[in-house]
Amino acid sequence: MPRGLRDALVIARREFVERVRSRWFVAITLLGPLGMIALVLVPALLIGRGVEGSRIDIVDRSGVLAQPLSDELTREGWKPTIVPRDTAKADEMARIRDQKINGFITIPDSWLDSGPAGQIVYLGDNASNEGVDRTLRVAVQRVVQRERGLRAHIDPGTLETVLQKANFAPPQHTNGKTEEASGLASFVIAYFLAFILYMVITLYGVNVMRSVVQEKTTRVMELMVATVKPRSLMTGKILGVGGAGLVQIVAWLAMGAVTLGYREQLLGWFGVSGGGSALPPLELGAFVVVIAYFVLGYFFYATMYAAVGAMVSSEQDTQQVQMPITMLLVIGALCLQMVSNAPRGSATVIMTMIPFWSPMLMPMRYVLGGASPLDVVISLAILTASIVLIARAAAKIYRIGVLMYGKRPTAQELLRWLRY
Amino acid sequence: MSHALVVHGLVKRFGNHVAVDDISFEVPRGVVYGILGPNGAGKSTTLRMINDIFAPDAGEIIVLDGLLPGHAAAQHIGYLPEERGLYPKMKVADMIAFIGELRGLSRGEARRRTGMWLDRLGLTQWAANKIQDLSKGMQQKVQFATALIHEPELVILDEPWSGLDPINAEVLRDEVEDIRKSGRTVLFSTHQMEQAEKLVDRICIIARGRKLLEGSLADIQRREAADGLIALGFRDAASRAAADAVLADRAVVAERRVPRARAHADGTDCEVKLADGATAQQLLAALVAAGVGLQRFEVVVPTLHQIFVDRVGTSAAVAERRPEAS
Repeated sequence: MPRGLRDALVIARREFVERVRSRWFVAITLLGPLGMIALVLVPALLIGRGVEGSRIDIVDRSGVLAQPLSDELTREGWKPTIVPRDTAKADEMARIRDQKINGFITIPDSWLDSGPAGQIVYLGDNASNEGVDRTLRVAVQRVVQRERGLRAHIDPGTLETVLQKANFAPPQHTNGKTEEASGLASFVIAYFLAFILYMVITLYGVNVMRSVVQEKTTRVMELMVATVKPRSLMTGKILGVGGAGLVQIVAWLAMGAVTLGYREQLLGWFGVSGGGSALPPLELGAFVVVIAYFVLGYFFYATMYAAVGAMVSSEQDTQQVQMPITMLLVIGALCLQMVSNAPRGSATVIMTMIPFWSPMLMPMRYVLGGASPLDVVISLAILTASIVLIARAAAKIYRIGVLMYGKRPTAQELLRWLRY
Repeated sequence: MSHALVVHGLVKRFGNHVAVDDISFEVPRGVVYGILGPNGAGKSTTLRMINDIFAPDAGEIIVLDGLLPGHAAAQHIGYLPEERGLYPKMKVADMIAFIGELRGLSRGEARRRTGMWLDRLGLTQWAANKIQDLSKGMQQKVQFATALIHEPELVILDEPWSGLDPINAEVLRDEVEDIRKSGRTVLFSTHQMEQAEKLVDRICIIARGRKLLEGSLADIQRREAADGLIALGFRDAASRAAADAVLADRAVVAERRVPRARAHADGTDCEVKLADGATAQQLLAALVAAGVGLQRFEVVVPTLHQIFVDRVGTSAAVAERRPEAS
C-alpha cells in the first residue's frame, strides 16, 4: 500500500473512532429516527385533529340549505350549529375570538347565482387546514347539487344515484415501466432521500471544516503536517468523518424503513387513520443510484468545506466563508419542488447535470422516473471529474492554508496558492 | 564524515521579510547540536523547512546523507514543534501510538513502544485519560513521546525547554543524553543558553536570519578564551600595588576591569584583557618577576551566555515583531 494511502487510512480511523465514541454521535443516531417518526406522525395527527370535531356555525340567509349541510357535516364528525339567518357577521367574529367556534359558513339568499353575490363563504381559524377545505367543499357541493336537482324536479331516488361518489383511486406515479407505486409515495421517498443527503452534507461537511479549524486552534496541525502529507491529512479526515456519517445514515435508513413499513400500525396507535398508500419498495437500481450520489455528493462538498476550513484560523471566521457553500445547498433544496413537479423538464435536466446540485436532485429525478440510466451515468461522470478538480485545488489551499494564522487570504492570494 | 543533516544556502521569505537568509550548517551524526538565537532569528522557520512544513525559497537540505525533506525522511525524524499541540479529545496512549504509526511503525509495534514510553515518562496511570484532562507539564511529556516513539535517527526539538519546570527540564536533559549515547542525533533550538551549555557538542548562532557563528562549543570557547580575559586575585593590598606597574604595560594588558562577580571590597580582585599578541604566560611571568603575591590566576573561559551576548548584541536580542505568517 502506498504510504500516502496508508497514512490517510490511519488518520481516517482516528477521525472515525473519535466521532463514533462521542456521546453526541450516539444521541443523534438514536434521536434522529425519533425525529423522523415525528415527521410522519405530527402532520397526520394535525390533519386528523384539525378536521374532526370542528365547531362551526351555519348562517343560512336562504333558509334552505342549513339543515342538509348540517347533516352532511355531522356525518363527517363535525359539530355544526344552525344559527338564526340574520345573525350579524360581527357577532360570529366575536364568537371565533372567544374560541366558542372554529368558524362560520354564510350562505347568501342568492346562492343559486353563479356570480360573486351567490358565493357561499367560510371564515374560520382552521381555514388553512387542507382537510377543512376538502370536507367543506365536498359537503357544500353535494348539498347544493341535491337542492338544484330537486328544483329541477328530478326523482329523489335517481338524484341520489347521480350524486353517488365516483370510484376514483388515488393518483399513481409511473415512469412507464412499473405501476404499483402511488404518486404520493414516490414523492415522499424522493423527498426523504434528498432531505437526508442535505442533512448529511451540512452536518458532516461542516464537521470536516470545523475539525480542520480545530486542528489549527489546538496547534496540533504543525505536528501533523510535519508527519504526513497535507493531502493524506485531508483525505483521511474526509474519509473518517464520512465513515461516521455512513454509519449514521445506515442506522437511520434502517429505522426509517421500519417506520415506513409499519406506518399504518404506528398511526393506528395514535388513533389516526389514513396512512393508506403503501410505499413502493426501492428497486435495486434506484438504491445504487442513491448510494452513489450520497457518497460522491458528500465528497464533493466535504472537499470544499475542508478547503474553507484551511483558509480561516478561528471558528467565528467560518461563518462567513462557508456562506457560498450554504447558498449552493439552499439553491439545490429550493429546486427540489421543481424536480418533483416536472421530473422530465428541461430545467430539471440541466440542474441534475451540474455537480453542485446533481447529488441532491438526481436521485429524486431518477426515483420519479425522469432519468434514463445514461442520464445518470453522464451526471455521475461530471460529478466525479469535478471532485477530482476540486480535490486538487483544495489540497493546494489546504497545504498552504493549514499553517496560516491570523488574517484570511484575499482572492488574489488564493489564486497564487492554487498556482503554487 | 557521515551527516545527520546538511543545510546549504537556505533562504525563506515571507512577503518582503527575509526570515532565513543564506544559512548553512552541518550536523554530524551522533552529536547534540544547538541552534541558538534570539526570538525571531529564524530558528523555527529553519526547523520547519527541515520538516518539510515550509518549502525553502532557495538552498538545499539533505537529511541522513541523501534524503530530501518530506515523506521518506519523516520516518527517520522526530519533531517537537514550537507550537505544542495534540488532539485534546484523544486518549494519551492512542495519541502517542497514532503518531508512531504515521511515522512508519506497524500498529502493534506502535502500541508496544507506547507502553514503554508511558512507563519511562511516568505516564502509565494516565494512559486512558484524555489529553485535555492532563496538566500542561504532562501534555509536554506526551508531546515529547510523540517525537521519540519511532526511535528516529534525527530528533528535532524546537524550544524544548519552554514551559518546562526544573524537574521536567532535568528529565528532558537525561533523554537527550540517552539519545546521544545511542549514537543518534539531536538538533534543538533555544534561546536559553544555560540549558544549551550543559548539553551541546556543536552550536550555530543565528540572528535576524543570518548565521553568526558555528562550530563545536569547546573550540569556540577555546577561541574566545584565547582572546584573553584573565581573572587575578592578589594576596594583599601591597601585592595589588606592586601589580599596578605590570598591568599598566599596554604591550601586555589592553584593559583593566573591575570583575563582575566576587569583587572584594579592598580591591584585591581584578580582571584584565590581554593586549593583542600577548599571552597569559607573559603576564604571569611579569607578575612573578615583579614579586606580586597571587592567590588566583585564571584564564577565563567565557560562558555560552557571554559568547551569545557578545555576538548577538543586546540590541538584537530585542527582536522585531515577527510577521503573522511565520
